[in-house]
Amino acid sequence: MSRIPLVPENVEPLPSIGESEGLLSWVGSIDHKQIGIMYIIATLVYFLIGGLEAILMRIQLAHPNSSFISPEIFNQLFTMHGTTMIFFVVMPFLIGVGVYLVPLMIGARDMAFPRLNALSFWLFLFGGLLLYYSFFTQSGAPDVGWFAYAPLSEKPFSLNNGPTYWAIGLLASGIGSIASGLNNIVTILTLRTPGMTMRRLPLFVWMILVTSFLLIFVIPIITAAFFMLLLDRLFEANFFNPASGGSAILYQHFFWGFGHPEVYILVLPAFGIISEVIPVFSRKPIFGYEFVAASTVAIGLLSLGVWAHHMFAVGLGNVTNAYFSLASMLIAIPTGVKVLNWVATMWNGKLRFYNPMLFAVAFIIEFVIGGLTGVAVASVPIDWQATDSYFVVAHLHYALFGGSLFAIFAGVYYWFPKITGRMLSECLGRWHFWLTVIGFNFTFLIQHILGLVGMPRRVYTYPDMPYWGTMNLISTIGALILGISVLIFVWNVIVSLRNGDPAGDNPWNAWTLEWATTSPPPVFNFDRVPPVRGRRPLWDLAHPDMPDEK
Amino acid sequence: MANNKMLVSFFIASESIFFLMLILAYVNFHGDVIDGPTAENSLNPVKTGIFSIFLFASSFTIWLAGKSIKKKDHAMLCVWLLATIILGAIFIFGQGMEWASLIGREITISRNVFATTFFTLTGFHGFHVCVGLIMLSILLGLTIAGDFKGPRSDGIECVSIYWHFVDGVWVVVFSVIYLWAFL
Amino acid sequence: MEKLGGVFNASSPEMTAMAGLTLYMIAIAVVIFVIIAASVTYIIIRYRKRSGDESEPYQDFGSTTVEIIWTVIPTIIVAILFFLTVKTMYAVDPPKGDREPDIVIIGHQWWWELYYPKSRVLTANELHIPVGEKWLARLESVDVIHDFWVPELFRKIDLVPGHPNYIWLVTGKPGIYLGACAEFCGLQHANMRIRVIAETRDEFDAWQLGQLKIPTTPTDGEAAKGAELFQDRACMNCHYISGTAAAARIGPSLTHFSTRQTIGAGVLENTPENLKGWLLNPNAYKPGSLMPNMKLSDLEADQIVAYLEALK
Repeated sequence: MSRIPLVPENVEPLPSIGESEGLLSWVGSIDHKQIGIMYIIATLVYFLIGGLEAILMRIQLAHPNSSFISPEIFNQLFTMHGTTMIFFVVMPFLIGVGVYLVPLMIGARDMAFPRLNALSFWLFLFGGLLLYYSFFTQSGAPDVGWFAYAPLSEKPFSLNNGPTYWAIGLLASGIGSIASGLNNIVTILTLRTPGMTMRRLPLFVWMILVTSFLLIFVIPIITAAFFMLLLDRLFEANFFNPASGGSAILYQHFFWGFGHPEVYILVLPAFGIISEVIPVFSRKPIFGYEFVAASTVAIGLLSLGVWAHHMFAVGLGNVTNAYFSLASMLIAIPTGVKVLNWVATMWNGKLRFYNPMLFAVAFIIEFVIGGLTGVAVASVPIDWQATDSYFVVAHLHYALFGGSLFAIFAGVYYWFPKITGRMLSECLGRWHFWLTVIGFNFTFLIQHILGLVGMPRRVYTYPDMPYWGTMNLISTIGALILGISVLIFVWNVIVSLRNGDPAGDNPWNAWTLEWATTSPPPVFNFDRVPPVRGRRPLWDLAHPDMPDEK
Repeated sequence: MANNKMLVSFFIASESIFFLMLILAYVNFHGDVIDGPTAENSLNPVKTGIFSIFLFASSFTIWLAGKSIKKKDHAMLCVWLLATIILGAIFIFGQGMEWASLIGREITISRNVFATTFFTLTGFHGFHVCVGLIMLSILLGLTIAGDFKGPRSDGIECVSIYWHFVDGVWVVVFSVIYLWAFL
Repeated sequence: MEKLGGVFNASSPEMTAMAGLTLYMIAIAVVIFVIIAASVTYIIIRYRKRSGDESEPYQDFGSTTVEIIWTVIPTIIVAILFFLTVKTMYAVDPPKGDREPDIVIIGHQWWWELYYPKSRVLTANELHIPVGEKWLARLESVDVIHDFWVPELFRKIDLVPGHPNYIWLVTGKPGIYLGACAEFCGLQHANMRIRVIAETRDEFDAWQLGQLKIPTTPTDGEAAKGAELFQDRACMNCHYISGTAAAARIGPSLTHFSTRQTIGAGVLENTPENLKGWLLNPNAYKPGSLMPNMKLSDLEADQIVAYLEALK
């Protein structure tokens, strides 16, 4: 029997965390598990705030010509809601859960650069705090939309300090994200346990790898744009101000050059979560591993070349429009391939409907809707009706909520036992699940129609057109149901942390390396890393007669 | 050992994109200015070219520093690190003079799109050079204190990679701003 | 049962083409969705783990043939969609050629300046257009980016400062069509509404002639006092009334204001009571509107209303 290979030893041991409990040990921590947990907790808090912003908006929009919320406040709400959910919830949650899991999944002791890891977290946290501090200033939070188009975001149209806080907060957070991307790349390329070739990487790790490349190449684009915007606002520079020779359209190219790959940054790790959950709960390996991995790389590359599909109404010319339309439709193909691979994984399986699987299956349905409306708006003439209307609001929420957030919930139910040592309540989880599905679809399905009948987005009120009030009211009721579902989720987390069933090492009978250690893992992650001779080391251990690779 | 060189290499790939955006902004507005300061009527390519030579020379000296540590030649390592710092500082001094001259002629970042993109691009480049000078000074200090006995040092190699990057960016920036305007 | 608007009430040849493509795409999407949803539903019922059965199923790693098939089929669908996209795009938005615009639409925060270059009519917010004729519009902005969107008639187009855009305007049936600004442009983006009045050529000519007539300044009664106030109280610093000294274009033109249907780009119906309320405090109806509260007395407001209503 061959020696079980150990994780490569660091030449210099990491500074020990010591036995100290308490807040200070967390603040100074460079352990990837603690940092991952801090990311997750912080994003949960930002999520509650972002959700509250959404519910306030929906209440205002429940009736035409309502005056529950003034236009000043409403414009701050939708700006902060979008900014929070994208930059301070979905992105850092996925980065954070990646930071927790990637070293475990590859059999390593920590990330390649633990201190850099901590820096990324604190930059994210404080970037968000700086942004939210703006609410307490005299001129209030930024109110120019999460994309802050110039010249609206510049003087003389935006004289308050809100957008300045926005740009600086996001700059700080963005630098942290670049650092995370770099850290992930080096970790995944160099710290894999012996036997874990790139072709045996868990798909979640593949997705984090591709996402990390996207991060390091596209965040610099928005960093440049933020600096230019700040120079315009603070030093009267002329980048984006048409009145002094600048170009409003240049800002959009830069913003969407980052912004479009950003949505893939928000969704690829979610795909990774689904690619872990569905096989385990179908009791089968993922169908077409190489195709799922390859299609991820294809999506990553293609995503860099489609940005101007956000600009079809800007007047770039039909040759440009046609190119971006085609490229955007092409992305649907590798994405569709993934969906079909997940469905095929379930086919002929023995499906177990624990909470992670409920969310994963719902994800497929919701994300397909989001993807299909995405193909619709990729078609220029359709986009000429749908862009900047509630149709797009519906599309983006099906992709980011029905897609990324549902996957995040699946991941939470799946890995909570590993992180905390306790199971989340199945019963409360089912309540959470059904209320989320009902609330989500009530909120957003009808918005497709609202957009097609002519309701623009980012409006604090609307006239009493036929059925607009009714449709908006339905949407608001859905949002309130979603609010309740989130409260149940938070309750589940609190109650389970105290009294959840002990999880054991591998409650789901899963196969990747994070399940080969205790729940929660010890400081050094593994007593021994099992031999890796295939994509599913624990399957191979349990089925020596039927290993994945002969 | 964590792969520091890999980190720095991917980092400079990322920073290249940042500089690419600043360059694209400059290129986008090039030629837009009808009257007012432009590259042709405001800049001195010969003077800047001479100062650039100092920067390019500093890439050579840091390469020599790298060779010195491989040979465990501690004294020469100090010498070449110091030379790199001095050459880099001369370049920054030249940049500063150029900026002072422009500002003295009331050409500031808010003047027009040429001035905006010029100061932003050269400013961020200069900032990156200064960061490099700080790192080199730290290396020099540690070397004088006895560290970096060789033959290998991630610290020296990584800062070298970064320094060559900063040089490479200047090749592009100088070509886009000075050569393109005057040739 | 009220009629749904937007894509469900396409009233121009362009919009009919775009609506057609939209509904066709939705049909394809529904078919694909039903296939996936039905498959998933079938799978979660048929392949549910039966209680007591702890065995593992057949471990299927994939099939290259299947992957090829389900890559090729979507590629074909995409190719068809793209072909239809390009065809519709060029049908809706052919090149502008050398034609001079028939209407110039200038976006302001938060109203629409409308200028008819051929007849020199200057008006605001309510676009009269003869039915069935193919017009070229030039769209610009004096401040931030706006977007001209009349969902039943035309494609959307941004009004970008520094970058004029051109679209074709063709209407199908006479009527009043409502639209809105569709690019967030600040505080009152929600209240920057558009009305397109598509009418027969004769009706349009009559309207245009009426707009070109220089309104006679009233000489007696409350309206005359209102006319004086208009000049004294700095209204003329922002507003244009042809035939008077008021020639500014900072705010909407008020020539023939009584022929307009709404006040404030769609915020209020144009009635004397509403107009008085607006004059007494514009920000009560459109908070953040750039028209300041001129601190008029009740009587002064009545007089200005009388004057404006007399501008037929």
